[in-house]
Amino acid sequence: MKSLKQLLLALAVLAGSLGLNAAELNLFGWSEYVPQDVLDGFTKETGIKVNFETYASNEELLSKLVAGGGNYDLIQPSEYAAELMIRRKMLAPLDKAQIPNLKNVAPEFKGLAHDPKDEFTVPYMSGTVGIVVNTDKVKDSIRGYKDVFQAKFKDRLVVLDDNREIVTWALYTAGLPANEINAASLAKVRPIIAQWVKLVKVFDSGSPKTALINGDVDIGIVWSGEAALLWNEDKKFKYVLPAEGAHRFIDIFCIPADAPHKKEAHAFINYILRPDVSKIISRDFPYTNPNVEARKILSPEELANPASYPAGPAKLETFRDIGKAAADIDELMTDIKSAL
Amino acid sequence: MLAGTAPAVPVSDHNRPGWKAWALLAPMVLWLILFVVVPGLILLVYSFCERDEIGGVMFTFTWENYARVFDPVYLRIFGRSVWYAALTTAICAVVGYPVAYYIARVPETLRNKLLLLVMVPFWTSFLIRTFAWITILKQEGLLNSLVKAMGAGIGPFDLLYTPTAVVIGLVYAYLPFMILPIYGSAEKLDNSLIEAAYDLGASPVRAFSSVIVPLTMPGIAAGTLLVFVPAIGMFAITDLMGGAKVPMIGNVIQNQFLLARNWPFGAALGVVFMLMFVVTYVILQRRASRSA
Repeated sequence: MKSLKQLLLALAVLAGSLGLNAAELNLFGWSEYVPQDVLDGFTKETGIKVNFETYASNEELLSKLVAGGGNYDLIQPSEYAAELMIRRKMLAPLDKAQIPNLKNVAPEFKGLAHDPKDEFTVPYMSGTVGIVVNTDKVKDSIRGYKDVFQAKFKDRLVVLDDNREIVTWALYTAGLPANEINAASLAKVRPIIAQWVKLVKVFDSGSPKTALINGDVDIGIVWSGEAALLWNEDKKFKYVLPAEGAHRFIDIFCIPADAPHKKEAHAFINYILRPDVSKIISRDFPYTNPNVEARKILSPEELANPASYPAGPAKLETFRDIGKAAADIDELMTDIKSAL
Repeated sequence: MLAGTAPAVPVSDHNRPGWKAWALLAPMVLWLILFVVVPGLILLVYSFCERDEIGGVMFTFTWENYARVFDPVYLRIFGRSVWYAALTTAICAVVGYPVAYYIARVPETLRNKLLLLVMVPFWTSFLIRTFAWITILKQEGLLNSLVKAMGAGIGPFDLLYTPTAVVIGLVYAYLPFMILPIYGSAEKLDNSLIEAAYDLGASPVRAFSSVIVPLTMPGIAAGTLLVFVPAIGMFAITDLMGGAKVPMIGNVIQNQFLLARNWPFGAALGVVFMLMFVVTYVILQRRASRSA
């Protein structure tokens, strides 16, 4: 009995010392967005263990943060969710002295509307939401949302399963501002969306490229990174920025106010801003890289990918926090979809 | 009650659980309280609350969530979920019954092998098996390639991301839950009763409908419950194989918690959903006890 007690005591001491000494980082990020090589490289270099958890939408991230589950040290919201979190004082200010690699961030990604003084956020990757067309199957010229949602393309479309995105496309189509969402503007886009959803075959945010590769659909409205991967696979997949206007999203890293491992979180941010690490991210997830130094060492093919680095003038806007209207959007979409 | 009026019949201790029995039951009771009663109560409390701007729960009383549950939109979704689950259950019963009956009737060594086959799918993750179905049903998938190779001149079939695909996925996922309880009943079926039916001049159809089915009814009932209840709340299959097009009640509830961040409304839907099951179950039990 005595020896058992001693053994238990020894185990408790051992466990305690391990917990105290081993540096950890609880990372909560998008699924399919942070390469495993980057996580492994960070642990190898710093000895900090990374506990990686994922989510599939900004809304899921918010609901888990609000519910108070998990002690996350580093999160990866998009611009509008970060804006909301800054307003609600949910984020810790960054200590820029710990992130010397911040100098690598391109000037056009600094001082943006969601975080005007760059106090809380660092851009990770950026991208657009645009149209991808299988040009083997579709010979028409597709330039905007109106060309996609035509009766002849019924059951040949995949679109993001993201209510705010779909409403935004309809707002652009109706010539309304994308960030002023209220009862009047939602009433105007309702009939447009009701027409559209009848034509869609698949709603998928996680991996919309799958339905295109499988040949189940011929046109998609997807994240640009997905379109870039499709283009890498087969040049028949063309990326088009919608003529009416498109969402430019910026996914960022930020630290929750109550994060237990802030030092490790800063170390991770600094690590991913290193050009050689950022290059790995671009290799696996070919979105628009906001890192100037990393872009210099990307291959010409990577830089020529029209989905990663779209050319030409286009109306691009980031999302702003719309407060309670987010719930109205969800109600509208549930209504429309259930009427199918 | 006055002591004098009651006949002095000692209450038998054998029918009352003693402390030993309670000790044995304790883990189960604790489990039920922790994972059924407490979450149920939390759900009930939340369902009368309001949500704040970012999706937190505000403890102010409101009926609003319940009013919204009875909006025609959600009633229609409830109705559709019941219909899909009922269809799935019916197909599972029709397909599963002969299989279960056959397995119960073969020699024991073969029987165990067959039972193992029914359970083999559980060795792989449910999601992986669902993705396997996507590979089979997609436009350029296994099924359409097979049809094409046979040169039958039909197809390609447009199956994936249709209601048919959802029902295929549901039947596939829940078929073992129908087969196993029916097998349990059919295995215990007394052969002499079937022989007696034949001796009394019953046709095979009559023997089946008047003897075999009633005797295996407990298995069918258990299977129906085991298939219908989870099928009605399923959301992964509708998302993956149905293209997330037509929402089922499971999808709507999941969305309230993850996407719409309206926990109180999600909780209200959940509570109504649970009440529906309780009421159905009580009605079924009453009927069963009346007919017994």
